[in-house]
Amino acid sequence: MSTNIIPSRIRIRSTRDIRHYLHTYPFKDLVDFFIEYEAKNRIMEKEDVVKRMDKALQVMKESVLKGKEHKNRTPSGLIDGGSKRVKQYTEKEHPDLLGKDFDNVIVNSLAVGELNACMGRIVATPTAGASGVLPGAFLTISEKFNISEECQVNALFVGGGIGELIRINASLSGAQHGCQAEIGSASAITAATIVSLFELSLDKIENAAAMALSNLLGLVCDPVAGLVEFPCVNRNVTGSINAVACAQMALAGIKCPIPFDEVVGAMKQIGDDLPASLKETSRGGLAITATGKKISKEMTDGDPRDPA
Amino acid sequence: MAIFDVIGPIMIGPSSSHTAGASKIGYMASLVYGKHFDSVEIKLYNSFASTGRGHGTDRAIVAGLLGMKMDDERIPYAFEIAKQKNLKYYFRKSYKPDHHPNEVRFVFNRGTEDSFLVRGISIGAGKAQITQVQEDRVEFGGDHAVLLLNYGDVPGMIGFIGDILGKYKINVAYMQSARNALQMSAMAILKLDELCPSTAVEDLKNNPDMHQVISIRKLNNEY
Ligand code: SF4
Repeated sequence: MSTNIIPSRIRIRSTRDIRHYLHTYPFKDLVDFFIEYEAKNRIMEKEDVVKRMDKALQVMKESVLKGKEHKNRTPSGLIDGGSKRVKQYTEKEHPDLLGKDFDNVIVNSLAVGELNACMGRIVATPTAGASGVLPGAFLTISEKFNISEECQVNALFVGGGIGELIRINASLSGAQHGCQAEIGSASAITAATIVSLFELSLDKIENAAAMALSNLLGLVCDPVAGLVEFPCVNRNVTGSINAVACAQMALAGIKCPIPFDEVVGAMKQIGDDLPASLKETSRGGLAITATGKKISKEMTDGDPRDPA
Repeated sequence: MAIFDVIGPIMIGPSSSHTAGASKIGYMASLVYGKHFDSVEIKLYNSFASTGRGHGTDRAIVAGLLGMKMDDERIPYAFEIAKQKNLKYYFRKSYKPDHHPNEVRFVFNRGTEDSFLVRGISIGAGKAQITQVQEDRVEFGGDHAVLLLNYGDVPGMIGFIGDILGKYKINVAYMQSARNALQMSAMAILKLDELCPSTAVEDLKNNPDMHQVISIRKLNNEY
């Protein structure tokens, strides 16, 4: 049954719910639906919701630029100007493995991940540790295709809406469900965002996100010395590249055999089953390798800095 | 919680719990204290104590105390700014499993006044809560304006508070009161949609049995 009135409350738990709303109520499209969803849930005007997303887009863009400018060196030495290195190497030296576009994804993703590690300003999508994934892939592609800022903002609502389903049904937290919930979710959000730049088809968006997340299921959270540096920053690149590949596959019509909602369910189950040592406690994985322990000792000993 | 918790918050890195949440605890604690102070002792617990340095937790907290929000690009320079403003702070560390992993305790000092204690925790995704003010256990996170009352344990105080709320047409979203038998006092925490008007605060303070009135605005859509 269709009606002419937008409901006063919008609650979603699955892609089926989204389809139901789109089918039953006069939403213009998926973007309109998610803007309305946010406005209703935050008790904000629709135009303010759009303005706020535009602000996020501007900060995201700025974070790429600043991340490429900044020295990006952390006291631990785990982060040391990787973004700049890749840029300079691929511009001047040999081999440049897959060409400029691919390099840009790596450079931009690293730039934001490193900027975050160096106390720069970022948009946590969905977390600070995974903040390079979305800008690395999505902004790089938006720039390549000269996509208007309005369309970029619209796409962010779709990606954010897909992430919202993960947040509601599982979590976006490494401490709760491991790195699959951070880098994995970020990659799914990014894949959905990229597809929606070109086709506002919920089927393709859902497939892209489902494939991206299923590729990273099981990823554990094991940051060395408890710092959001290694393996976090490099994993941002993995998340970005995975998102591009899955978006491309979904655009071409490849379907994920397991629907998105079920992939999210799998992620939750895996995350719940993961031992605490692999969920942001730095008591397992890379964090407790011989070298990991050594770095940890150097970084966590001594007093916090008292006033000089 | 909704899409802006997925695409957002806008914040200074590297960690939403150890940096953004930390700055928010500092920010809220200074709102609770509500006045200029000479010095503050900041005790970091557990994970905040062990990995705080690498996450800039210490700088973020001082930045919050200076009134900076979690997206303020001056956070990395908070120590230098605090020095310029002559704000004195001292860090302590404590490892106690019965405390929250990301907890901070502030003790504010001002002139000859008694010191003032505020405790807060970072609960992830840039969100934070104040959990203790002086002797009183509380729980609020900036989603509402808050009225924190501490008064003598005598009959009629709840009625008195209710009358004032009614007089100023203040809508209460949540209220809890409790007695502290040891201190012969009681406390009430009220969560409001809007900041309690200053005239209502004055009326509350005018009751001789009212020991302390703390009124805090909500942080709402601020990052
Ligand atoms: S390893 Fe842990 S801290 Fe690092 S990005 Fe993944 S979830 Fe975040």
